[in-house]
Amino acid sequence: MNLRLHIWRQAGPDAAGMLKTYDVANVSEHMSFLEMLDVLNEDLISKNEIPIAFDHDCREGICGTCGMVINGRPHGPVAKTTVCQLHMRTYKDGDEIYIEPWRARAFPVMRDLIVDRSSFDRIIQTGGFVSVNTGNAQDGNAIPISKKHADHAMDAAACIGCGACVAACPNSSAMLFTAAKIGHLGALPQGQAERSTRAMHMVMQMDAEGFGACSNHLECEAACPKGISVEFIAQMNRDYIASALGGKD
Amino acid sequence: MELNSNIPDGQLQQKWDEYRAHLKLVNPANKRKYNVIVVGTGLAGASAAATLAELGYNVSAFTYHDSARRAHSIAAQGGINAAKNYQNDGDSTWRLFYDTIKGGDFRARESNVYRLAQVSTSIIDQCVAQGVPFAREYGGYLSNRSFGGAQVSRTFYARGQTGQQLLIGAYQALMRQVGLGNVKLHNKQEMMDLIVVDGHARGIVSRDMVTGKIESFMADAVVLATGGYGNVFYLSTNAKKCNVTATYRAHKRGALFANPCYTQIHPTCIPQSGDYQSKLTLMSESLRNDGRIWVPKQKGDMRSPDQIPESDRDYYLERKYPSFGNLSPRDIASRAAKEACDNGLGVGPSGLGVYLDFSDAIARLGRDVVADRYGNLFEMYERITGEDPYKVPMRIYPAVHYTMGGLWVDYDLMSNVPGLFVLGEANFSDHGANRLGASALMQGLADGYFVIPYTLGGYFASGSLSPVSSESPEARTAVKEAEEKVKLLLSIDGKRSPTSFHRELGSIMWDKCGMARSEKGLTEALQRIPELREEFWENVKIPGAGAELNQSLELGLRVADFLEFGELMCFDALHRNESCGGHFREEYQTEDGEALRNDDDFCYAAAWEYTGVGSKPTLHKEKLEFENVQLATRSYK
Amino acid sequence: MRAFGDVWRSNIFQKWVMATTGLLLVLFLVGHLSGNLLMFLGPMHMNEYGHSLREMLHGSAIWVVRGGLLLSFILHIWSAIVLTRRNRMARPDKYVKTSTLTSTLASRSMALSGLLMLVYVLYHLAHFTFGGVHAQFYAGQTGWEYVLADGTVVPDVYKMVLLSFREPLITVLYLISMVLLGMHLSHAVASVFQTLGVTNKRITPVIKIAGPLLGIGLALGFCSVPISIIVGLVH
Repeated sequence: MNLRLHIWRQAGPDAAGMLKTYDVANVSEHMSFLEMLDVLNEDLISKNEIPIAFDHDCREGICGTCGMVINGRPHGPVAKTTVCQLHMRTYKDGDEIYIEPWRARAFPVMRDLIVDRSSFDRIIQTGGFVSVNTGNAQDGNAIPISKKHADHAMDAAACIGCGACVAACPNSSAMLFTAAKIGHLGALPQGQAERSTRAMHMVMQMDAEGFGACSNHLECEAACPKGISVEFIAQMNRDYIASALGGKD
Repeated sequence: MELNSNIPDGQLQQKWDEYRAHLKLVNPANKRKYNVIVVGTGLAGASAAATLAELGYNVSAFTYHDSARRAHSIAAQGGINAAKNYQNDGDSTWRLFYDTIKGGDFRARESNVYRLAQVSTSIIDQCVAQGVPFAREYGGYLSNRSFGGAQVSRTFYARGQTGQQLLIGAYQALMRQVGLGNVKLHNKQEMMDLIVVDGHARGIVSRDMVTGKIESFMADAVVLATGGYGNVFYLSTNAKKCNVTATYRAHKRGALFANPCYTQIHPTCIPQSGDYQSKLTLMSESLRNDGRIWVPKQKGDMRSPDQIPESDRDYYLERKYPSFGNLSPRDIASRAAKEACDNGLGVGPSGLGVYLDFSDAIARLGRDVVADRYGNLFEMYERITGEDPYKVPMRIYPAVHYTMGGLWVDYDLMSNVPGLFVLGEANFSDHGANRLGASALMQGLADGYFVIPYTLGGYFASGSLSPVSSESPEARTAVKEAEEKVKLLLSIDGKRSPTSFHRELGSIMWDKCGMARSEKGLTEALQRIPELREEFWENVKIPGAGAELNQSLELGLRVADFLEFGELMCFDALHRNESCGGHFREEYQTEDGEALRNDDDFCYAAAWEYTGVGSKPTLHKEKLEFENVQLATRSYK
Repeated sequence: MRAFGDVWRSNIFQKWVMATTGLLLVLFLVGHLSGNLLMFLGPMHMNEYGHSLREMLHGSAIWVVRGGLLLSFILHIWSAIVLTRRNRMARPDKYVKTSTLTSTLASRSMALSGLLMLVYVLYHLAHFTFGGVHAQFYAGQTGWEYVLADGTVVPDVYKMVLLSFREPLITVLYLISMVLLGMHLSHAVASVFQTLGVTNKRITPVIKIAGPLLGIGLALGFCSVPISIIVGLVH
């Protein structure tokens, strides 16, 4: 198939960017979306042009490195799929595709489609952990955890930190990302000791990074490649308000 | 050069306890005076950096990713082994040790492997305490599954995302230390060289991948946890950024590279679909717990799989290896698949594939149970191939997955360059010639959480180091060399992209140094690789500049190292005149095609010393002493 | 422990303020609507109701309610301004191509519908409470007294409403406003539960349906009076 791509090109963090149009021919339906871009990049190199910078690594949907907004949808049109797992069989000959980077103040563009997501790391640094030094642990079976709670924790822990939730949110809010971590650790007995301070500190950092607030559009849940539920946001709201009004942090 | 593996005296079972009991310690107040560089933030790197920081060392952690959570450890699906014996099925430290030694085809060091089995149980405890959501039974206790190469159920898992969950646990521990100011995290920094001062590893040269700035970082010890080199094959299950540069540059600075030819080919990967293919996707070996592998009995049987009756199917693993069946170790399962395809029985459009069939499991357990165990793997398969494995058997084919070889290290995980420690897949230490499933996660975390915190302290306590600075001639030279290399690459302005060279190198390696190797093929490869390397330095095209985010340049630098490293692998494969584990030499096989080991001549780790680009490296042998196990022919029949 | 100022400034707390005040306002609307529907029972019931509101707790209740409403309004609007500004700032560069899956016209235009509701409320107060606009229909004017069964003389609220909504222009203005209210509430009610964290597997699916229904139902309820008047059902 032949496609027309409009891709955001931006030389650096402070440079002005613009959409540039590329025509790609003979795209195989078995290619992944990123492989299609690989082929385009090889072509650009052969034409002495600068290839398109986009971030990616594992190409199996788990590392969370890749991400771009395709026709207005983070990771493209297929639900619960990262862009590296999006295959060209989704498209048809003659399609026109707009490719843009994640857009958020807290995710500055570094080049073309690559953004800086270290704000996510800083949120985790303030409380997204259990404070247990190596060697402190008791036997893994000492505290039984019901399958229900373990599964619930796993549902939240499945977050890959890609940032699609932020990209999808009309407010560039990081509520789903932050809530997933609070929800993961909050569902387990090991996470209880710091539950209150965790919610307080992570929410404060999330705000300080310049992410927007939640308007309950639920776009994040629809865009999340791991299908993480907004139910965790509700729980984070509970935990945070309990912490804030309880003065327990 | 004398290789001293520094194995503590005493009985195997007591070595690690004795070692720790007599270890020299660093006073808590003095720990913060030691600077440690940790390169890589995968399981081994993140766990080491976090734990060393908890102890009070001053840690700088480097990753070429935008976040410390992205390393390829994250992609491990199936699980992590530990000798907990929660199942009461006869597991023990000894049995895990023995399975690992045997699985590694008796090419690993007994003492290291025993220590690995010993600390395996603490890893599970630590991870549970961190909040890793391991799968649980209804009663609330940890759940186990079985894995290839073992007859006990000792694998702990978190859905099909065990690597991810363990890495996130280590990442969170690391982030906590970053937040506390004990670790300085350097994102988007790629190590370009090792700085050796007075024979000791004292720092690294690193390139800022956003600004292109190349600078030196100095320390009292350097810990490399930079993963494996499977991407030398271009197509592998490794992440795209995985590369050999960090360990290979250390090799060029004097560190010995051990057993580079030991590469693991994973049996359950999704077959390649076209030339544009950028990587191969692995599906957890745990699928082999309930899936049955088969090919049609007749060549050219074009019927759809559901039309092929039982009588026309060959469940070849169950037939050839009745006691292990579909759970035979990876190398055996991979070679059996290759053999079937070589015999023209392969399935799928390319003929390079075998069926992995779940219809019996679905009939026996019900779709819900199968979905609970493998749901996300099934989804992944369907996303990539467009076929529904609940209805149509999966097609699988082996692919390069893990590299057992790595920098040579002693019992302390220190290379022959004092102060250079190597952890996880980057070292050669624990898996011998073949790694068992669910053992990579175990080794990475064992090294990071429970070994390096002791051995590094011992290193610091047993000698004094003179101060160094970035202004030292060694540091300045290394920085200058790195800068020149970048300049040179950018100035060639040839016709071919780095990827095209990488792909060509990969196809040489896969054909000549892949699942089956021969003297003839390896000799050819040793001729073609230098030619390709020469062409690379004359004809590579790297657009853009050095002082900016330039992914072509990053790739070019990595491919340049692969082009030298590939040769080293072939030298090793050519010299090892035997078949063992992940190294199968066609000349050395039994009548029924099984690997034929040669314990008399090759029961050693081959540690290679760098002697210059294109010149044959010098071989050093660490003889492997087996005092506790009997060297036996591996049999999974 | 964090200072209250830090908590107050946080996005989630601002959302909490918005949700709790919004909830109070919705409760008020339910009461307001039940009063409005007395129009269908005739002037006596309507005017008695108006009188009883003014007399409750010796006349203090109405001021307490008015005070509470005013405070809710101020906090609701305040948090809306704060959050809307922050949300806009959080994405300085917009997408060229946009696409949405789950957000609705209502959810995306809460600020606008809210702002128009504010204009409406001011107009509504000026109309019915203060007589600042459409003064010819103001119930407080002389000659518009109504005598209750017990002989008390009260302003004729019934007549005020009836005559006002016989004016098509006024009716249209009110109906448009009620459409906006319905839109605002169709997102707001369910959203309150999510923001306050009152969710679980059993009640959330109910709220997802009941929330918009309640919002739209309130708006329809309010519309029923002017529509009935203009088509002559109430006279």
